[in-house]
Amino acid sequence: MRLTRRTLLSLAAATTALSMAVPLRAADAPIVVGATVPTTGPLSLTGKQYFNTLTMAAEDINAAGGINGRPLKLAIEDAGASNSTAVSAFVKLIQDTKPPFAFITSYSTQNLAVAPEVAKAAIPVMYAGGADAVAEGGNSWMFRIRPADSVTARAMVQFLKAKLRAAKPGIVYIQNDFGQGGAQVAAKQLEALGVPVVGTEAYGQNDKDFSAQLLSLRAKGADVILAFVYPADGALLLRQAKMLGLKMPILSSSAAFVPAAMQLLSPGDLDNVWGVVDAFVDPSAGERMKDFATRYKTKFGTDADPYGLAYYDGAMLMADGMRKVGTHPKALRDWLAAVKGWDGVGHVYSFDGKGNGVTDVAVVKAKPGTKTLELLERVKLD
Amino acid sequence: MADFIQLLMNGLALGSVYALAAIGFVIVYSATGVVNFAAGQFVMLGTFAGVATLVNGGWSLPAGYLGALAAMALFGALFYAVVYLPLRNSPAVTMIIGTVAIGITLQNAALLGFGSWPFRLVSPFEGMTVDIAGAVVPVHAIAVVVTTAVLIGLLWLLFNRTTLGIAMRAVAQDLVAARLMGLKVGALLAFTWILAAVLAGVAGLMLGPMWFADVNMGDPIALKAFAATIIGGFGSLPGAIAGGLFVGLTEVLGAAYVSSAYKDLIAFGAMILFLLLRPQGVFGERIQDRG
Amino acid sequence: MRSLLGVAALLIVGLALSLIVSEYTLRLLNLAVVAAVAVVGLNFAFGYAGLISLGHAAFVGLGAYVLAILTTKLGWSPWLAAVPAVIGTGLAAAVLGYPLLRLKGHYLALATLGLNVSFGIVATNWIDLTGGTNGIANIPGLTIAGHELSGERPFLWFGLAVLAALALIAAVIHRSRYGRAMMAVRDDETAAAMTGINVTRMRVAAFTLSALYAAVAGCLFATHIHFISPDDFSYAHSITHLAMLIVGGEATIAGAILGAVLLTFLPEWLRVLGDAYLAFFGLMTLAILIFLPTGIVGLATRWVRRPAPPQADAAIGAEEASRP
Repeated sequence: MRLTRRTLLSLAAATTALSMAVPLRAADAPIVVGATVPTTGPLSLTGKQYFNTLTMAAEDINAAGGINGRPLKLAIEDAGASNSTAVSAFVKLIQDTKPPFAFITSYSTQNLAVAPEVAKAAIPVMYAGGADAVAEGGNSWMFRIRPADSVTARAMVQFLKAKLRAAKPGIVYIQNDFGQGGAQVAAKQLEALGVPVVGTEAYGQNDKDFSAQLLSLRAKGADVILAFVYPADGALLLRQAKMLGLKMPILSSSAAFVPAAMQLLSPGDLDNVWGVVDAFVDPSAGERMKDFATRYKTKFGTDADPYGLAYYDGAMLMADGMRKVGTHPKALRDWLAAVKGWDGVGHVYSFDGKGNGVTDVAVVKAKPGTKTLELLERVKLD
Repeated sequence: MADFIQLLMNGLALGSVYALAAIGFVIVYSATGVVNFAAGQFVMLGTFAGVATLVNGGWSLPAGYLGALAAMALFGALFYAVVYLPLRNSPAVTMIIGTVAIGITLQNAALLGFGSWPFRLVSPFEGMTVDIAGAVVPVHAIAVVVTTAVLIGLLWLLFNRTTLGIAMRAVAQDLVAARLMGLKVGALLAFTWILAAVLAGVAGLMLGPMWFADVNMGDPIALKAFAATIIGGFGSLPGAIAGGLFVGLTEVLGAAYVSSAYKDLIAFGAMILFLLLRPQGVFGERIQDRG
Repeated sequence: MRSLLGVAALLIVGLALSLIVSEYTLRLLNLAVVAAVAVVGLNFAFGYAGLISLGHAAFVGLGAYVLAILTTKLGWSPWLAAVPAVIGTGLAAAVLGYPLLRLKGHYLALATLGLNVSFGIVATNWIDLTGGTNGIANIPGLTIAGHELSGERPFLWFGLAVLAALALIAAVIHRSRYGRAMMAVRDDETAAAMTGINVTRMRVAAFTLSALYAAVAGCLFATHIHFISPDDFSYAHSITHLAMLIVGGEATIAGAILGAVLLTFLPEWLRVLGDAYLAFFGLMTLAILIFLPTGIVGLATRWVRRPAPPQADAAIGAEEASRP
């Protein structure tokens, strides 16, 4: 018994000595950055993209000498498909690795659920959920690395009015935080521009038949259809629109143009279809984009999408900040909040008072008879 | 009018898929009394068996279909041995939770095996459409309706004209008596699960080209199949078909003429109304017979 | 007396844990406590009255939404808002129960499942009231005598106190005339009716009690996470609640609590397995159902009482129940 206690004491002493020794070696100890990514469930389709790009970014950062000589290490936890799992994953990360910085998911409801824990942890995080409600929450630790849904919706409306000359627009949207929010903003904007929508139709996340929604919009005389979609359902919707013989142009949100959706489409499905995407991820969009896109494809065997790119840029931005102001969470937060005109691969990032970093989107269209997208214009909103 | 016919045809095609999923569910329920909450995952596996043979394996269509259905038969036998046999004497609710648990495993195993990307199965009638009174109908959708009808005919023959089918019905009606009559009850129950898995396989292969296949497609199908089963009648094959078509049609027509946001409320509301007013469904058994 | 001891044990273990474990484990304990409140409630419906409900999460959600709406839109204190949340949910269950509870077995299971799906559809689309899929954020936390229960640890203490009180009430009801009447209805409806028990009223009472507990769980959930959305109350959560009860050992309060704790922690423990963890979770749940048919509580009882005689009668009864 006494022996045990003595052993314990010496063990404790050794631990103390060890923990005191750590700061001395901190100069080359890895900096651990946390990330919660959906790797299971329906959200993992997009999650896989940024799982990949975050890994790639960490490798790139380390290949370039790490953070002032210290290597960067990622600790990734599965955020699953529910809010509760996302929060648990985040709290576990904070607990296990005490990271100075973390990435959270690209799903607004998960972002909203995690927000109180972010405030509690008091570390800066980057997120890619689009809902405006996330930024309106007033959490000063959260930075959005994608255009907000209202930005996308406003850009869609502008393009619709100016270029497609819509007089009687119709809206079809997916019944989730993204679709509901986007449809609401778009309807209000169109109203303000003097071209009120003739119809708004919803569909469920798991729906497979959109004939009722599309035919109803046609019957109401819609001359352009605005579509707020997710990847697989977006592809299915575009296919069915062609099958039903809809002639009016369709202006779709980003997700229908991610590689996972594009591989499901035939060239004919993209006829008379325009897309407003977060960023134009294509080798033709400049040297740095070409480098990113080709390396992604070689490494992971599929094409990169704008969600993946957002996290890649985010990681590079974070590394830049850490090099300049170190890894103290508060210092890093203040540095990020002051970022203006930081030139990433996908966007020029400037954070506003609510932590929105991106205010530009791209309009794309497939070249006739092909699935090759080309950039029509970039839309910058203030 | 052309729009209405179009909606009608789309609703029928959608309903046929629900009906097929519901049939697999009903066969298992009538023979074993199990409410199979993994029924949707069975259909998902059917589609991915097709993905494995046709897309990843590059087999020809007939070989790919046969290979996928053979794999599903094997899966049905495995399910019988690993899930049904150990739990067969448990209360109904344990069986419900058990099938949910194995459903979670199946879905995640598929995610590990196939990844999260959606797949597109090629149809034997790729790109073909016909014009019916101004409505554009893909030939594949017609094939789905026809296949469903043929399968139902075959099932009817099985259960009414073959010794095997009659023995299966005997087991379904009274297991102890069937055993006393010298029927090989174990083998017959195993065959029931195999049959259900193969039918789910057919459903999966047929919906693969209409919808896109992803590993999370199972649960939504199961929900609609449950609603179809209740509306049609719990233990009844014609009921599963009528219920499936009803759910498919309400989904499409409800979205068109009532509200696209609340359309699923119509189907599930109808299901609850049926439960309250006519719990035996359109064609169903008398409710007192089962607990 | 035994239930008092049980509740004391729960409080002591909970308090001891709350002082030594990490923040992350504290959070999981809080999730487990909230789930346990709901599952102790479900035990009235399923464990005592034999009603298979797959709509329990809808009642959790109803309670949570009423509290969230009253606090965020009308600025009520969460304490005050919890009153209409719980009472309203109980009323809703009673009103729905009268027609629904004529159904039994699988029929009731699927009807309540439909109810849960319908709740989700309404919560998703009634945007003005519920915020749609974006849900309701910034739900205020509870305060006690000026102290906000903001950290995981104070919340756990409060949650444990609520759970202990509700478990005690459940134990009292279990032993009361009403508890016995519910179980009589479960075991033999006709016999129960002949002894003068109003079968329908007993069923509705059990269902309503279970919904009241669910609403309390909903209020705890909303004030703990400070954010709710329709996803948090999907039918999958209802199935989880039922699974917790079965895995823990049905018809016992201890089983309800143990099951809630185990199924909250199990997927988190399995995270070390990487991408395959949910696949293993399903298999392990199945294994528990197969190898521990009476749940954790059954295992513990067997341990204590040693060689129990083979329960031939019970096995035959079970077979008959599961057979058409």
